[in-house]
Amino acid sequence: MNFNVTEILEMPVGIGDITLEHLVYFIVILTLGVTVARIVSKNVRRALTDRLPKSERELVTKLIYYVIVVWAFVFALPQLNVDLSGLLVAGGIVGLVIGFASQSVVSNLISGLFLMFERPIKIGDNINVSGVTGSVEDIRVLSTVVKMYDGIYVRIPNEKIFTSNITNYVQNAARRFEYEIGIRYQDDADKAIRITRGVIASHPFALKNPAPSVYVDNLGDDGVNLMVRIWAPAREWWDVRTDLLWRIKQELEANGIEMPFPQRTVWFADGLEVKNRAARKNEREE
Amino acid sequence: MVEAERANGLLTYRRRCGEQTFERILVTKTGEMIINPVEPVNLPKEITNYLQVEFSPMVLEPGTTQTVYLKFPVEIGVFLESAKDIEVLDVFANGSQKYTLYGPQTNGVIARYHRSAVYSEIPSVECFCEGVMELSITNASREWVEVSQVVFDSTDMKIYYNDFVTTTATMNIISANLAETDFVDAPLRPGMVKSVELYAARKIPVINRGYLMEWGFT
Repeated sequence: MNFNVTEILEMPVGIGDITLEHLVYFIVILTLGVTVARIVSKNVRRALTDRLPKSERELVTKLIYYVIVVWAFVFALPQLNVDLSGLLVAGGIVGLVIGFASQSVVSNLISGLFLMFERPIKIGDNINVSGVTGSVEDIRVLSTVVKMYDGIYVRIPNEKIFTSNITNYVQNAARRFEYEIGIRYQDDADKAIRITRGVIASHPFALKNPAPSVYVDNLGDDGVNLMVRIWAPAREWWDVRTDLLWRIKQELEANGIEMPFPQRTVWFADGLEVKNRAARKNEREE
Repeated sequence: MVEAERANGLLTYRRRCGEQTFERILVTKTGEMIINPVEPVNLPKEITNYLQVEFSPMVLEPGTTQTVYLKFPVEIGVFLESAKDIEVLDVFANGSQKYTLYGPQTNGVIARYHRSAVYSEIPSVECFCEGVMELSITNASREWVEVSQVVFDSTDMKIYYNDFVTTTATMNIISANLAETDFVDAPLRPGMVKSVELYAARKIPVINRGYLMEWGFT
């Protein structure tokens, strides 16, 4: 049995005049386009590694990837006898139909574009959007991927992000955190403030300016409460926050200042009569 | 203490600083180790390129130029150099580090902070902790200005050394709240050795463009 390749390639596939050869060419061009897009974007990413932040780098590489893929697709379409000029006429009507049918997709796409231009969030930022807190892993055309702090993957449609309140914890260069530290009434509050300031001053990332503030905030039930407010670089604040509290506690205790335990002094209006049954019994027996 | 030791056929780089030890096994045939002062913005962790030096306030008449000497923090870089490449192995320092915010919280920058007195002549410095910066301040504005801090982009920094570490910088005051700072690629004294730049070693292209202090200098 002989196979004639030319005959096989000229066999119609059953859609218009499209033959197997056309289909093969279409697939080859598209595959070539995707391969070239992957190679180019990979090399661009590698070349830009030291020169651009990750968010910009990913945006540029994605843009290059999709431009090449779309170009390959348009280049391959004539193989399927698709007349692009005809598409222009039909495009309006089809676009309208598709537009109605895929409103959410389009709105996600437009939201994604606005997110990329307005840039309220960037890759690597720590954010909170509609109850999801974590770091931004990727900003895609239709959705944004957030990795929550416990490692859970969350994909949020761009429309939801665009219409929600976005809390970006690292957008500003610095952010503030605070502690309330209680000391006993008999401890010297001025000394405690001085020691706390000293500990803060020794930490590299507790910023010099804006200056930290330490003051007596209120006189609590159990002790004197000091308020400590510290500014730190936004991307380092969690490490500074967890590190400093323990250091302050240790330093205060090393200087004889202790955290008070909950305590309550009870006063009786008529004094307190202490009953000693054993003593009374002895008295009666005598 | 920094040492490179060959034991059991392996070359080990070791640095001890207080209780911390940094150790790497080096595999090299022709490589050389270079140790020199580097831009002081790497410790304890690299978070910024900016260096801020605060000093005693100076009041400058319009049109005047004054050269003063300040102290700046020093960090030591250890590089591995081969015929084709140079790589950073380690950065350490003797002194402590402190950071600050220059400008507003919304769009200001985090900067390495250092406090210095103002000297009219080259001051004596503690080796491996501080260096000497020759700063030429020009008041190009039309009014008297008070200056008490200067902020630099350290990627432009040129460091020279022999007995002590030096750098030369300029500050051009444009208006009451605007100044431009830059580094000059020249040794403070003839015969000083130029440091290998950390940012050049990290292959980040350095464009000498200075830094525009937009949020004042007091």
